[in-house]
Amino acid sequence: MIAPAVIFNEVSKFYGEVLGVNRVTLNIPPGITSLVGPNGSGKTTLMNLMTGLIHPDHGHILMRGISPRDPEALMRITGYATQYDTAPRWATGFSFITTGLLLFGYGRAEAEEKAWKALERLSLTDAANRKVAGYSKGMRQRVRLAQAIAHDPELLVLDEPLNGLDPLVRAETIAMFRTWASEGKHVIISSHVLQEVDLISDQVVLIANGMIIAEGTIRTVREEIQEHPSQYLIRCRDASDVASRLFSEDHVSEIRLNDDRMGLLVMTRDREQFARALGRIALDGHRIDGVVPADENVDALYEYLIGGE
Amino acid sequence: MSLRPAQGGDPDSRSFPARARQAWTIARIELRRAFFAKRGLWVYALALLPALIFFGHGVDVKTDRARLVRRGVTDPALMNSIQKGDALGDVKARVGKPAEEYSGSRIRRVRKRGVSGTTTHVIEPAVDARFVRLNISRPTYSGDQVARIYEFEVYGADGRQNLALGRPATGSAPCSPDQGPEKAVNGSAGGGKTDRWCAEHWPYFLQVDLGAAHVVKRFVVKHASAGGESEDSDTRDFNIQVSTDGKTFTTAATSAGASFVDERTEYRTLTYFDGRRVARLQFVDGTLDSIGISPLLNFEEDRMIFAGIFQYFYLRLAIFFGCLGMFMYLFSGEMSSRTLHYWFLAPAPREVLLAGKYAAGLIASAAIFSGGALLAFIAMIWPHDAVEVQAYWNAGGMTHAFWYAAAAVLGCVGYGSVFLAVGLYVRNPIIPAAVLLAWEGISGILPYVLQKIGILYYLQSLCPVPAPMDNGAPMLIRLLAAPAAPASRPAAILGLLCLSALVLWIASRAVRSMEISYGAEA
Repeated sequence: MIAPAVIFNEVSKFYGEVLGVNRVTLNIPPGITSLVGPNGSGKTTLMNLMTGLIHPDHGHILMRGISPRDPEALMRITGYATQYDTAPRWATGFSFITTGLLLFGYGRAEAEEKAWKALERLSLTDAANRKVAGYSKGMRQRVRLAQAIAHDPELLVLDEPLNGLDPLVRAETIAMFRTWASEGKHVIISSHVLQEVDLISDQVVLIANGMIIAEGTIRTVREEIQEHPSQYLIRCRDASDVASRLFSEDHVSEIRLNDDRMGLLVMTRDREQFARALGRIALDGHRIDGVVPADENVDALYEYLIGGE
Repeated sequence: MSLRPAQGGDPDSRSFPARARQAWTIARIELRRAFFAKRGLWVYALALLPALIFFGHGVDVKTDRARLVRRGVTDPALMNSIQKGDALGDVKARVGKPAEEYSGSRIRRVRKRGVSGTTTHVIEPAVDARFVRLNISRPTYSGDQVARIYEFEVYGADGRQNLALGRPATGSAPCSPDQGPEKAVNGSAGGGKTDRWCAEHWPYFLQVDLGAAHVVKRFVVKHASAGGESEDSDTRDFNIQVSTDGKTFTTAATSAGASFVDERTEYRTLTYFDGRRVARLQFVDGTLDSIGISPLLNFEEDRMIFAGIFQYFYLRLAIFFGCLGMFMYLFSGEMSSRTLHYWFLAPAPREVLLAGKYAAGLIASAAIFSGGALLAFIAMIWPHDAVEVQAYWNAGGMTHAFWYAAAAVLGCVGYGSVFLAVGLYVRNPIIPAAVLLAWEGISGILPYVLQKIGILYYLQSLCPVPAPMDNGAPMLIRLLAAPAAPASRPAAILGLLCLSALVLWIASRAVRSMEISYGAEA
């Protein structure tokens, strides 16, 4: 039997004229998967598509064999912690989660027990009977997480779940993700910082402008990006000296001098080594006025994700 | 890949009872919002307004009755014996002490009548004068700005000879050439309008040259009424000046008009109460001028007023706008407060969510509006005589109350479904509300088939008492106010439920494809 997967087949979603996601095809096996991309790249759109909050204009989606058009079946196995930082005005942490569980058909006693367990797992028991509206941002983040896991789903969709968590809870939460992943569940999380999810993800999906840039294990993705040669434009006084210094580096494959001898275009296979080399050159007294990536796409994205905000 | 069995909770989650339980769970949560929403305050105001009106009326009537009874109840036969023209004393002696007695008088300042239009002005001590001048500052009592003097006489020491007679006279421009100043010294006043001096422009004055200086002791002025005109045209304010040289004048006499009197009219109002009817008797100067006898409370009239308020205000406006407020925002309200996704993430078909929300809105609106209708009904009955109420109750009053409440509930069923559906398609309530209100309004003049697509059409025939309609009202108004309705109640209820079910089915299609859209999506 094939392991149940999350499958996107040529899925597109438009918001009026504006593109949400474009021809996304994915096959996500169980385990921890991170959707990584800058803000506005379409991570939340993908997650809303997975959970049926919005519907695709083209293509189709299967979540462990269930269509998101059937919330009755899908939501029984799915927990979604959204980024929408709102809760009904009446809700306390406890009643909020209990109410959700009642809709699953649990009896009140069972629902309350499960709600309490979920709150315990996210260290929210002290605040359980306070209004969610009065919680801090981190606590609201946790209560949404608690709600998503309360019914013990096998498919977790968590939009930026580590945002606003303090280091201790963060570590516990990550440990929790690992446990679920090891139980054969899907844990799909989103982040705009690659480093944040680098270590915990079994695989990553890089997304930008509504398109999938790279997909696979973290190593494959990194190699895919590493191997992609990138170009930089350097502005400096003594361009020919700098060019000769750079040319001796292994990773530099091509250098072109500008006609005004005030700048040069460098092509490199390893941007980290390139950065180190430039640092050495500058330390030796060569004045470098600026370094601009000449090739925006994948490169800029990678810089962004590695560097954080 | 295979469909996993449902985890936890209800093992048979797709069964009807399970879905009904889910809908009920949703409804229970939504009820709180439906009953206590901030925007719901005016829904209560609309629902309770008729009850408040009738309650206020009841309190008013009750205090009236208590006050009247305390002062004594009159025998109905005696009350009937009162007739117009009766004297105040007679009525009081015969019928007894009234429950209320108010008196008042009106005083009007009027010019004293019967004073002749001739004024005499004695100068004491006598003065020497060759020129005599009559200056008029207010020419009439009526306000008419025309001075009229029929004769101006000046008497000297002997008191018999009119020194002004036939002397040269000057004055302000006359109204017409034949009414010049010489007419005031011609010795006659009885020759009609051409025997007077008349002036209509400021300054009004009349001057006579006596020919030589004389001792002057007395003036006589004959005004409009002395010549046969109305007393109101008599000169009001004037003075008489004398001079020996025609240049320096001194005032010899001043008249500030004739005397005024206060005309006083006595009014007296007596109120008698015979336990049921109130008689208001209006006396003018001691004589009974008008009688008004009316019942303090008119049960039949109050029931008609209730029917009118219920049909024209309650069904058409209160329930209409109440349901708009409660149902239109069931989904869009949660979209704007960014909480709708919690419902969409529940393991329930969207139709169950719709059913739960509709049920919550329906329970709340039905409770509020049938409660409001019953409260108004009770408030309407409350001040009335127990015997009358008992008779009404025996003659089907209870059924009336039931059908009023039922019409309110079914109004909520109908308008609720409509506004729930409208809220899924449109966010701004103003335009759909105006369109629906207009549609319901013109329903009476639409073809019969189209009339059936309207809530009011069905509600009309559920009302136990037809709405009162003045027969004198224009045909169009009557058509608009009272659309034709199905003949029987079962047909009306069935029709209304079918219409609501159809509308809810349309709504369920919309909810099924509804997407979360909170504005800024990432």
